[in-house]
Amino acid sequence: MSQTALHTPPPKPTLLPPENLAGPALSAVTMVMSFLACLALGCALLADRAAERWLARATSAMSVQIVETRLLSAEEQLPAVMRELRATPGIGAINVLERGDLIALLEPWLGTGNISEDMPLPLLIEITPTGDQKLPTRVLAAQLKAVAPGARLDTHGRWRETLESTAFALNLFAGLVLAMVTLATATVILFATRAGLQANEEILNVLHQIGAQDGYISRRFEGHFVRIVCLAASLGLLAAVAFFYALGGLVAEARDPSFLMTLLPLPLAAIILSWQVTRRYVLRRLRAQL
Amino acid sequence: MIRMQDVSLAYEPGRDVLHRLALDIPQGAFRFLTGPSGAGKTSLLKLIFLAHKASAGRIELMGQDIDSLSRKQLALMRRQIGVVFQDFRLIEHLSVYDNVTLPLRIAGHKADGWHANAVELLDWVGLGERLHALPETLSGGEKQRAAIARAVITRPRIIIADEPTGNVDPEMGERLVRLLVELNKMGTTILIATHDRHLWENFDFPRLHLEAGQLTQMEGGL
Repeated sequence: MSQTALHTPPPKPTLLPPENLAGPALSAVTMVMSFLACLALGCALLADRAAERWLARATSAMSVQIVETRLLSAEEQLPAVMRELRATPGIGAINVLERGDLIALLEPWLGTGNISEDMPLPLLIEITPTGDQKLPTRVLAAQLKAVAPGARLDTHGRWRETLESTAFALNLFAGLVLAMVTLATATVILFATRAGLQANEEILNVLHQIGAQDGYISRRFEGHFVRIVCLAASLGLLAAVAFFYALGGLVAEARDPSFLMTLLPLPLAAIILSWQVTRRYVLRRLRAQL
Repeated sequence: MIRMQDVSLAYEPGRDVLHRLALDIPQGAFRFLTGPSGAGKTSLLKLIFLAHKASAGRIELMGQDIDSLSRKQLALMRRQIGVVFQDFRLIEHLSVYDNVTLPLRIAGHKADGWHANAVELLDWVGLGERLHALPETLSGGEKQRAAIARAVITRPRIIIADEPTGNVDPEMGERLVRLLVELNKMGTTILIATHDRHLWENFDFPRLHLEAGQLTQMEGGL
């Protein structure tokens, strides 16, 4: 330093040399972890939203099928079924399909032109629930059976149950991935902090001896690791956003800004995690000294 | 200023390095601490500069029982004790200026308030032209002077020096002790651990002799 430079104090020095603090390795691992966490959460959210839509469609697409019995034709049972449906709370719209609509539904399976005019077809009634109250499907099915022995209520229950359990399994999987990623990230930060403490033990001892408080020493480490994690986790988030944007060609919702915003808490959580892990470890270590 | 009663220190159970020591160094005193290698001089100093906790006994520093102090109070008390380590313990990636002014930064003082005094102190210890040098480029004597400057920059009430002349030639050693004598004249209590006979023979201060875990006080000089 030249003597002229001494008229003013030089800037504050960095007390912990960055090369002693496992920076590049921690950055790389944190970036990957952040990317994986965003991926797990994003995929779970997309799957959950898709399942919700499918469930809503399944719930809104109930039907009643009436087949002829030995004593009554389908048409003869129709008025009783209609009365029962109109008297049931929670049903918004009732639509009896025309024979032409039924033929159009069956043709993909039976082949065009293979359904003759005299071929007996069941009657099909589409029901749209109002959605403001739960439809008592079991009671309704029993009542329909009582007034029309050939009537059967189809609630698509099995398909809905499969959808619900698939959505639950996906959410559980995403939750587990998030938990594992969190645990792995915390462990990596802990190891990096421990390595950093060991590499800087001499400096810590000097700081401690000249009267630095535990909080002062801890903040030097916290600042270092939070800066690294902040940058790396943000890069992981950006990579995940790029991935979902590319995925938007297949799933339009993946480009929805409100969906992408839901990923934002993950890097923030990583920053808070690194701050707390570092702080607790450094303070515990320092408190082992006098 | 420094008072010990029945103080023992054992790193392993049943093997006391220091055994039921009594010590009383009044404010403004200058003492040498002597004794053969392995007698426990450094261990005794570590108890005084609050690096270790005694296994038994009572230690009072500046009128306060250290067992009654919180961690925060202990840190504040350390700021009142300047320590010169035998191995200097300068931070390798910091310049001489940054090493020496570190206690002031840690104490939270603004650099504008102490910068001029720090430069003056570094001039006084002969490091005025080496302010930006890194410790690895300094000679043993320069390192020792930097370590002393760091120990005195906050004007501590006690200065503890562990073999401060161990890594410098006799002439430089004597100069360093004269520097400490000057500080003592300003009221600072000084305790120097040394096995350099020339030092306690040339400076007329009482000597505490530690041997087999026991302390005896001897008069200064020969």
